[in-house]
Amino acid sequence: MYRKLLFLILITAIVPVSGALADGHSIKIGAIFDLTGPTSDVGTSYAEGVRAYVDWVNGNGGIGGMEVELFWEDYAYSVPNAEDLYTQFVEQGVVAFSGWGTGDSEALRGRIAEDQVPFVSASYSAALNDPNDSAPYNFLVGTTYSDQLVIMLQYMMDQWSADGNDLAEMRVAFFHHDSPFGTSPLADGEAVAEMNGVATVRVAMPRGATDLSAELENADNQLGGMTHIIIQNVSSPAALLIRNATEIGMSEFVQIGCLNWCSDEILVELAGDAAEGVLGALPFGPHTVPVEGQTDPAAWLEANGSSLAETSLHFTQGWWTMAVILEGVRLVVESGDELTGANVKAALESLDGFSTGGVTSDTITFTPEDHRGNRSLIIFAVDMGEWQAVSDVINLREMPMSDES
Amino acid sequence: MAQQSGIFHEDYRSDLQLRPTTMQRLRLVLLFVFLFGMPVFAGSLEMRYANNILIALIGSIGLNILVGFTGQISLGQGAFLAVGAYSSGLLVVYLNVPWYLSILLAGAITALIGGFFGLPSLRLKGLYLAVATLAAQQIVQWVLRNWDPIDGDINQRVGEALNIPAANFFGHRLNDNEYAFYFVVLFFAVLAVLAATNLFRTHIGRAFIAIRDQDIAAEVMGVHLFRYKLLAFATSSFFVGVAGALLAQHSTSISWESFTINVSIQYLAMIIIGGLGSVSGSIYGAIFITLLPQIIRGLGNGIEDALQLVASAESQLAAHFAERFQDLLPRIEQGAFGLAIILTLILEPEGLRKLWQNIKDYFRLWPFSY
Repeated sequence: MYRKLLFLILITAIVPVSGALADGHSIKIGAIFDLTGPTSDVGTSYAEGVRAYVDWVNGNGGIGGMEVELFWEDYAYSVPNAEDLYTQFVEQGVVAFSGWGTGDSEALRGRIAEDQVPFVSASYSAALNDPNDSAPYNFLVGTTYSDQLVIMLQYMMDQWSADGNDLAEMRVAFFHHDSPFGTSPLADGEAVAEMNGVATVRVAMPRGATDLSAELENADNQLGGMTHIIIQNVSSPAALLIRNATEIGMSEFVQIGCLNWCSDEILVELAGDAAEGVLGALPFGPHTVPVEGQTDPAAWLEANGSSLAETSLHFTQGWWTMAVILEGVRLVVESGDELTGANVKAALESLDGFSTGGVTSDTITFTPEDHRGNRSLIIFAVDMGEWQAVSDVINLREMPMSDES
Repeated sequence: MAQQSGIFHEDYRSDLQLRPTTMQRLRLVLLFVFLFGMPVFAGSLEMRYANNILIALIGSIGLNILVGFTGQISLGQGAFLAVGAYSSGLLVVYLNVPWYLSILLAGAITALIGGFFGLPSLRLKGLYLAVATLAAQQIVQWVLRNWDPIDGDINQRVGEALNIPAANFFGHRLNDNEYAFYFVVLFFAVLAVLAATNLFRTHIGRAFIAIRDQDIAAEVMGVHLFRYKLLAFATSSFFVGVAGALLAQHSTSISWESFTINVSIQYLAMIIIGGLGSVSGSIYGAIFITLLPQIIRGLGNGIEDALQLVASAESQLAAHFAERFQDLLPRIEQGAFGLAIILTLILEPEGLRKLWQNIKDYFRLWPFSY
């Protein structure tokens, strides 16, 4: 038995030697994904999209003849894991980073600024848009959660008024993921609601819950007759909430809306008929509304034995997020400057009207003062099991009201 | 202290020594040479893991004082770590307390709060006490999430993470600097190990052990149960609070997400795998649990690299397998983590400490082991 033990100990001692075989002629990008944690339902196809884009770029000659090398690991939605992996990848020399959750992106932002590593996460928390102070290296490719919530609320209020109702009778419950990700947009949403005389309440959705009827009843009682629900959560718990709302007969008179992490094919599949009529804030359009920006992802998927219909819209989301990161890298490489994080940051800040081929409702533009790439949305709704657009582009950049939320 | 035969003490001074034999002292010197030499040859990633281990070690010693030595089960470790982390962070951010003072004060604050949550321990034992400490975990977590410590508002917190400004360490930036931070944690870790080891050579420590072994007998012998149980909670929480404060200073940004019930369970796993009721067990457990995921990941990546080497040798099957393996790796890692823990416990239920003892005995008796 002890011989086996000694063998184990020997292995442990040898393991750290295995590392990446890196040469000086590749572009190193770091990434963390959630493949096994609580947001893995949407994280898996996002991760596939990010990796697919890198594969696609390399298949098309790389950037300036250099190969893009992606260092990635699953971090299971744990902040300490994210910090460890970030340290590891930065030590391995990555020039930009693709992150994931709100909690870990917020935890890392100080270190990101110190290390000068441009960081594009899948978290669209408005708190990460602080280029001149706490978060100079964080960039948000998608519409921020706050902007999503404001636009969704605006759309609901317009519909409510158009149906001949009084805004004073509109009562909205914000059902949110029990984390910084879930609570990040709520204060901005509450401010807009208050301005319009709309009553609101916050309800945290406990992790791992199997029934949310009690939370629904509770919110209904607190509001004295709930008229709208806006969900800031990932697809699986959101689908549960929508099914429960149908089961207790609530969805007949309550309009439900989802922000981006639950507006996807997974929600439709899990909630089934109950999802009909649910509104969605989709910063990255679904495959059911074909646009030019889906051609390349679709071709890559076909070459790898899959299709857009089989994966989820988070695949194109990951694809175009990585496209924005590598566009910054490409600009630096083509200008002949040294490839450093600071230069990539400057290049990203010069990005003006980067086209995602219509996948996002607006082109991506960063400035040194504003790292929100896109402040617009199209509201979608589930119609016969498919996401279809129900509004035009609603762009907050063109609205004076929400200049600074 | 149990010792091999042939070691004789001629005076009390030598009897009281922690390390009576030359071999033991030599090992200690070697250990210190390694610990102080580490920054010379280690990269910043290795230093980061070293720091993680040293912090976990302080926390697990704290938990072991309560669970392993006094026999009071606690599921509130994550909460007490959080109290320490937030105390230190808030003291630095809002009262401009120097970071080193804030770490000690955080320990004291956590000791107070830990003592408070230890109150039910007089009436509750075993699983019932575990559930009571679980309540501590939930309450602290709720407060952190909903209470803004500055204006006292409930439910109005937007930016969830508490950011801690840079601390100065002899002119070096302390946070985000694994090398400078290493010496700080090392200092506290050595202090913690010494304090805990010596604690169980005093009447207080003996009282803790008496309570664990048989509380009624302890009371009959004159151990004031209530006082010593509370003292155990407070002492344990002091260590845990210091660990939490170091976590906060290490990470510079803390949010309640880092202190969930999972953390409590992870620390319980550390002391169970390392060895209950043993300071060295806490150390082995902290090292094992902190490094295990990295080791499994390293192994997985090694296998993946090997597969890709085979794949480049034009084997279609290997290429396909390499791709599948890359996708499956994160799942395998999760499973392997659990498997490794189970195997360790089956191999040696008394933990890594006993395992190490067995190895030492094996070589000591070789080749005439019986």
